[in-house]
Amino acid sequence: MALDSQDNVARSACMHASPEVMPAAGSASAVHAETRAPQRLFNGAISTLALATAACGGDGGSTAAPGTPGAPVATVAKPQSDSEAAQFILRAGLSVSDADIKSIKANGYEPWLDAQLNSSISQTGTAWLTAQGYDQVTTKAYFDNSYPGDQMIWTQLMTSPDSVRKRVALALSEVFVVSLSLLNIRWPGSAIAHYWDQLNANAFGNFRTLLEDVTLNPAMGDFLNTRGNRKEDPKTGRQPDENYAREVMQLFTIGLHELNQDGTAKLDVSGKPIETYTNDDVTNLAHVFTGYDWDYTGNVNTSDPRGTGRTIPSTQFVLQPMTTDFAKWQRPQSSSQHSDLAATFLGTTVPANTPASQSLKIALDTLFNHPNAGPFFAKQMIQRLVTSNPSPAYVSRVAAVFGNNGAGVRGDLRAVFKVILLDDEALNSAANSDPRFGKLREPVLRLVQWGRTFGATSTSGTWDLGDLSEAGVELSQSPLRSPSVFNFFRPGYVPPNSTAAANSLVAPEFQLVNETTIAGYVNYMTSAIGSGAGRNREVKAQYADEIAIAHDAAALLDRVSLLLTAGQISAATKATIRTALDAVIVTQTSADTDKLRRVYLAVLLVMASPEYLVQK
Amino acid sequence: MHIGQMNQISRRAFLRRSGQLAVMGTASSWALGLAGISDAAAFSTYGDYKALVCIFLYGGNDHNSTIYPYDTANYDLYSAIRGGGAGQTAGGLTPARADLAATALAMPAGQVLTNNIQYALAPQMTRLKTLYDQGMMAPLLNVGPLVVPLTLDQYKSSNLTAYPRPANLFSHNDQQSTWQSSAPEGATDGWGGRMGDLALSSNTNSLFTCISATGNAVMLSGTRALAYEVTPSGAIPVKGINQRLFGTTQGSAALNTLMTEARSHLLEADYNAISQRSIGAEGVVSAALSQVNLATNFTPAAGRNKLAEQLSVVAKLIAARQPMGVSRQVFMVSLNGFDTHDFLPQNHPGLMDQVDFAMDAFYQATVEMGVASQVTAFTASDFGRTLASNGDGSDHGWGSHHFVMGGAVQGGRFYGQAPQISLTTPDQVGQGRLLPTTAVDQYAATLAGWFGVAPSELSSVVPNIGNFGTANLGFLD
Repeated sequence: MALDSQDNVARSACMHASPEVMPAAGSASAVHAETRAPQRLFNGAISTLALATAACGGDGGSTAAPGTPGAPVATVAKPQSDSEAAQFILRAGLSVSDADIKSIKANGYEPWLDAQLNSSISQTGTAWLTAQGYDQVTTKAYFDNSYPGDQMIWTQLMTSPDSVRKRVALALSEVFVVSLSLLNIRWPGSAIAHYWDQLNANAFGNFRTLLEDVTLNPAMGDFLNTRGNRKEDPKTGRQPDENYAREVMQLFTIGLHELNQDGTAKLDVSGKPIETYTNDDVTNLAHVFTGYDWDYTGNVNTSDPRGTGRTIPSTQFVLQPMTTDFAKWQRPQSSSQHSDLAATFLGTTVPANTPASQSLKIALDTLFNHPNAGPFFAKQMIQRLVTSNPSPAYVSRVAAVFGNNGAGVRGDLRAVFKVILLDDEALNSAANSDPRFGKLREPVLRLVQWGRTFGATSTSGTWDLGDLSEAGVELSQSPLRSPSVFNFFRPGYVPPNSTAAANSLVAPEFQLVNETTIAGYVNYMTSAIGSGAGRNREVKAQYADEIAIAHDAAALLDRVSLLLTAGQISAATKATIRTALDAVIVTQTSADTDKLRRVYLAVLLVMASPEYLVQK
Repeated sequence: MHIGQMNQISRRAFLRRSGQLAVMGTASSWALGLAGISDAAAFSTYGDYKALVCIFLYGGNDHNSTIYPYDTANYDLYSAIRGGGAGQTAGGLTPARADLAATALAMPAGQVLTNNIQYALAPQMTRLKTLYDQGMMAPLLNVGPLVVPLTLDQYKSSNLTAYPRPANLFSHNDQQSTWQSSAPEGATDGWGGRMGDLALSSNTNSLFTCISATGNAVMLSGTRALAYEVTPSGAIPVKGINQRLFGTTQGSAALNTLMTEARSHLLEADYNAISQRSIGAEGVVSAALSQVNLATNFTPAAGRNKLAEQLSVVAKLIAARQPMGVSRQVFMVSLNGFDTHDFLPQNHPGLMDQVDFAMDAFYQATVEMGVASQVTAFTASDFGRTLASNGDGSDHGWGSHHFVMGGAVQGGRFYGQAPQISLTTPDQVGQGRLLPTTAVDQYAATLAGWFGVAPSELSSVVPNIGNFGTANLGFLD
């Protein structure tokens, strides 16, 4: 496909998606009609991708367009400042470095992003566990402990070079939720690592493949109860488990209400949202997900070396897709547990006696091709990466690319994430200086950014930060440890009694914000920054580059502001922070302990400031 | 004792917020001061103390495994549906009938329920059984969200104008929100908070009107009332402000400024508004709690009971009601883990044990404090669950059974209407998902009436109450 030609992607996305997406703007003249507001993006450099996709959005939003229709435009948009460079990288990845800034300024947004998207997956979570011996049956009982899972994900987030893939996988983990905290499974660490690996493997692949991998993943099978889900039994009245059928619709693919392409709800004649499915759709779809269990092919049993007398399976069953082949189950059965009943949902019927694999294909294809899938996914990913309240036009442009990547492919996630990050609404400084633009950084992202930015190391090599879910003491959030399938926060969360509410804004991450968590976060970071984090404070930042300039308070603060906030700390806030920095007397010849004290102050005060907390 | 200090803090905090409000020019409602708001008093009984405590069971508690049919005929019906063994032995989701004997609830004279059903609590709930016997606890049967009363035919009707029903039934997040606020996810005020709105003027420190020990939930937010958050160990101080930050007082001062100053970006403004409350209120709460000595034990003999931990701090806050300057409060606590699609027989009993221990400890604490008849605790949950089994669990339902507990409760009897033990009767909408016969609005209105909300103001708390026959279910004095 023609993904390396940005021009091509955008133009085809328009053409292919327009009939369904924006009927009013389906003609070429509509595209060219948007020539008002000849305001240039980032000082003259124009992203053709952003432009073309934006223009096909119909209303164009705040998009600039070439002054003269048909005039040649610059082909590669480049950040014009270190701040613009850092702003982009901090959305796309987990942290920003001097080298990143230099690279993206030299090469431009899209080439830099392409290089990230093209980079291979670094060590997988599963491989890391193997390297630690965490997949072995030993007296340490890794098979019954979740801490290897925490170490795995923190190691991945703190050290992986493919930070863009990791950032996207983390965003996916907040839609396709499996929680290590709620797994009721042997080898929870290996199970969650394999799930995480599948999110990474599919991050720039196709949504349909991701959906199937997620559906058959053994950890998901445990989390939403597809594993061991048996067909109906008319004799006893037993019914299929409905959990996965419900949540795959509500949370993973189509949502509760019929959507327009721009993510807004369609309304019925009385002005009410239209529900996408009924409970009958759920009970019918539930039949499709019957008959699955973990696949024990290749399993080796070991007796518990702790002498409990229990038999411990090897990790295979948490690393292989679930199967309806009852001969491969831990307790092989003599007959299929897959329902033979016809199942009708969302206007589709799986005929009676359809084989399980074919039923699954019909069901997942139906969900994948549902008109809601694009806008439902697009809006949430924009919220995770860029802003809590994207304009409908922005959602529409991304949904259009979900519908068609320009080469006739639906669900191309690589194209989707590119258009999210390169869209004009994300890059246009006028749009994102609006006091409503942006999103609250998630606590986990803050800690990871701190560690990566300031060269944190783990004494044990295992990044033993543990489960940081506890509010008031820790971060009230820990990666892959959502309190339920509804994630740590909901995309439609409105903080009560807030200016956000008064202005009809949502602020999902605020679901984690209250008097307790605010204090808990600042306290945790104060301790992490100054003394280290994790077990025995074994994760410590080095601050080498910051120590080197600590004697120059202005330079130190500029640097910390650039790396943590893309230079968005205002002059007034800098002045406030300077009063603290200047209270610590530091010269070039001062001892490192004094220099460090000033560095700690700079880092903590920036990380506690609202200008940092709200990523713009 | 700490009143002087508290007033100082509150005045400063209030002034800060007032200044910010002028800058922002938006959303006056969030700028709630610690100082009381002196508009019309809502409650005729001003001066005494009353508290409501919502115990939310997240995930959708299986009421069928909380309150079991115990009489032979209904137990047998239940056992046939839920996989019980021959001769009233355990099997599937059904405990042996003999194991229910100790928690069987005696019917009071004159009360006869549907099909002469008699109930037993889950076998773990021995303490709640005692409270029932003492008249301090009552089950409310088949309560759930309704807009109007519905029959099965009306539920099935496509005429949603005549027979509106709650949106997004059976969906966790939406039904949590609907239980708490009468509207699905996205609602910004709940009935606890709306009662709080009316109670603000009764409290010197209106910020402490609604207190959550369990994270953000719409239940406790009103149009002006806020949910103030505490942890089981109380309020969390910002150490870098209370002590020198990395050895500097200037660092602490800068931190305080950054966290509390006015911001023009809307999300930044909202964040700092909460920071202000956190920093401004912590000293008051910590000082008040430090004076509290409660002997009641909230720590189970084994394991951790997070519900008891939360109820422990609620009890302490009630003990500190005078220094905190409150006479009407609504609290919320919760327990997770009730979405028992799988492993119900393995996992649900432990949850019942935790609920039983925690609720009883809380009741005993109110006795110790001498406020048992001024504090009413009640349970709520996303929804009930199917009576039908999926093998080792149950699925999302609608109506459910709940508990009210406290010295003011007319306990030792049942309220509401018992559903039939059936998958086909018209009191359920399929697979034993109960069609509620009592509305959450009626449940809430009964609590609100006891709390002091005047009948004329009930509709501001529970907007649909006028659609139902009674606003007082009678379970409170």
